[in-house]
Amino acid sequence: MANRVRLGFVPLVDCAIPVVARAMGFAARENIELELVRELSWAAIRDKLSFGVFDAAHMLAGIPIAGRLGLGGLPVQNIVVPMALGRGGNAITVSTPLYQRMLKADPYAMMGPRGLSARALRKVIDEDKAAGRPVLSFATVFPFSSHNYELRYWMAAAGIDPDQDVNIGVIAPPRMFDSLRNGWVDGYCVGEPWNQRAVFHGDGVIVALKDDIWPRSPEKVLGLREDWVQNNRDVVAALVRALVRAAEWADQPGNRLELAHILSEEANVGAPFEVLKASLCGRPVLRPGEPPVEMPDRHVFYRYTATFPWLSQGRWLGEQMKRWGQIPGDVNLDRVIPDVYRPDLYRMAVAGLDVLVPQNDSRIEGAADAPDRSLVGPDRFLDDSVFGYRDGLS
Amino acid sequence: MVKLEEYNILVIDENPDRAAIVERGLVESGYARVSRIGTSHNLVARIQALAPDIIIIDLENPDRDTLEQMFQVSRAIARPIAMFVDQSDASMIQEAVSAGVSAYVVDGLRQDRIRPIVDMAISRFNAFDQLRRERDEAQAKLSERKLIERAKGLLMKEKGLSEEESYNLLRKNAMKQNRKIYEIAQSVITAFQLEF
Repeated sequence: MANRVRLGFVPLVDCAIPVVARAMGFAARENIELELVRELSWAAIRDKLSFGVFDAAHMLAGIPIAGRLGLGGLPVQNIVVPMALGRGGNAITVSTPLYQRMLKADPYAMMGPRGLSARALRKVIDEDKAAGRPVLSFATVFPFSSHNYELRYWMAAAGIDPDQDVNIGVIAPPRMFDSLRNGWVDGYCVGEPWNQRAVFHGDGVIVALKDDIWPRSPEKVLGLREDWVQNNRDVVAALVRALVRAAEWADQPGNRLELAHILSEEANVGAPFEVLKASLCGRPVLRPGEPPVEMPDRHVFYRYTATFPWLSQGRWLGEQMKRWGQIPGDVNLDRVIPDVYRPDLYRMAVAGLDVLVPQNDSRIEGAADAPDRSLVGPDRFLDDSVFGYRDGLS
Repeated sequence: MVKLEEYNILVIDENPDRAAIVERGLVESGYARVSRIGTSHNLVARIQALAPDIIIIDLENPDRDTLEQMFQVSRAIARPIAMFVDQSDASMIQEAVSAGVSAYVVDGLRQDRIRPIVDMAISRFNAFDQLRRERDEAQAKLSERKLIERAKGLLMKEKGLSEEESYNLLRKNAMKQNRKIYEIAQSVITAFQLEF
């Protein structure tokens, strides 16, 4: 008899891996009957996983860490991460009026690398301050989302204090696009297709992509309850294998059009095919009416160890929580992260398969001369910083 | 000691019918200060203005993500609010999750004071679900009856049968094929549509 696994997901391009695992039969081949449940909020995903409505979930990479630390007014939740669900896909989109102001305030910054476009935003903020206007409002998708940390990283690198100079709130991904269109926010950081959609409708302009801030950075992960993992070792291994195979399929350029069709279905992402195609085929349109740019790594599902749950990336997320005051500076992340991020489960699941597995569980993030750079691909931070976390080296 | 009726309760629900029955349940149990809002872009400002002690919100409501950020940045509101999940009360958590109820309370509010409020929300959510199911079933029944009427009409007109003969024919075939009468009626309608 097949093992039933109930997996919750949020309608975003990076729900592709579980959706493909079901649609293309990778789950069935591992004797898993994968039931997918579409949710519209990260809080609902987290709660339904924690309280056993789901066995597994597509979740923001920071949620399991926040859960382990009992953040957000919740009791401690023991969610573990046996694999990542791809890389890329986020962007910072601003409203067309704000884009025009940024362009006017600092045309040179807007022509330079997109990772530094916040320099123009800083000038706009300075103008507003001088004129006594209210601060601009931005949105991300969750307090512990990579989006929140990316938006803050991008702003801080240009000298903007995200806690003082702007308002940063939270809006669930499917609602972002309407919020920008209605003028409730001036900009946001969200995963696709919710940036591309604003551009296609002429409501927003993409000013930075996730890869402009830190390519290969953590994004979504597979979350499982720790007790469920302990009682279902074989199912966990089979599920990880099915998802890794699905990731491999989704990563093939030749399969991306079919993937765009699958994701456009209402039960999956439910966004227009053209919007998904632009993003999935690595040709996003950044400004309304302009030709697309070539970004073959816009969505990475498999290559560059995109499914490996690097301890160093979990650690980076923990450091961002400290940086922005979500946790005290003295929390010992070395004790927390290895309980949450579980590369051992990944290694066990894919052992014997032709899946490229890194030698170590941690790496030096962002260093051009890191020994595993060719395996992971370009991973330069916008400010050239290097994040070292070398324990687990053999 | 705060009296029951002094708790300030806020119900956030995109479904106005469900919000209304939750509100009525609470008011009838003696909670006088109950307000409700649908979805709103200035949610944070409205909650600040209402300063609720307890928020009841549909578990799946996307506004929960917005609320949780607001509670994180507790300076934004008068008093810090924490999600109400007392681990010692696992049965209630299960009931709340399966009913689709989530709740946020002012930190420090006593568990025994919260429980009746959440219990009321759970029972009202369940009652609402039941009502909705019954309504859906009634609508389905209505459309089944319409299908049978149409099939009967077609048989009378096209085959010259009486109303009773038409109905008996549908019933006999349903029994023979072990299917529902409305399913046979649907097949009859499809068959006649094909002929034209």
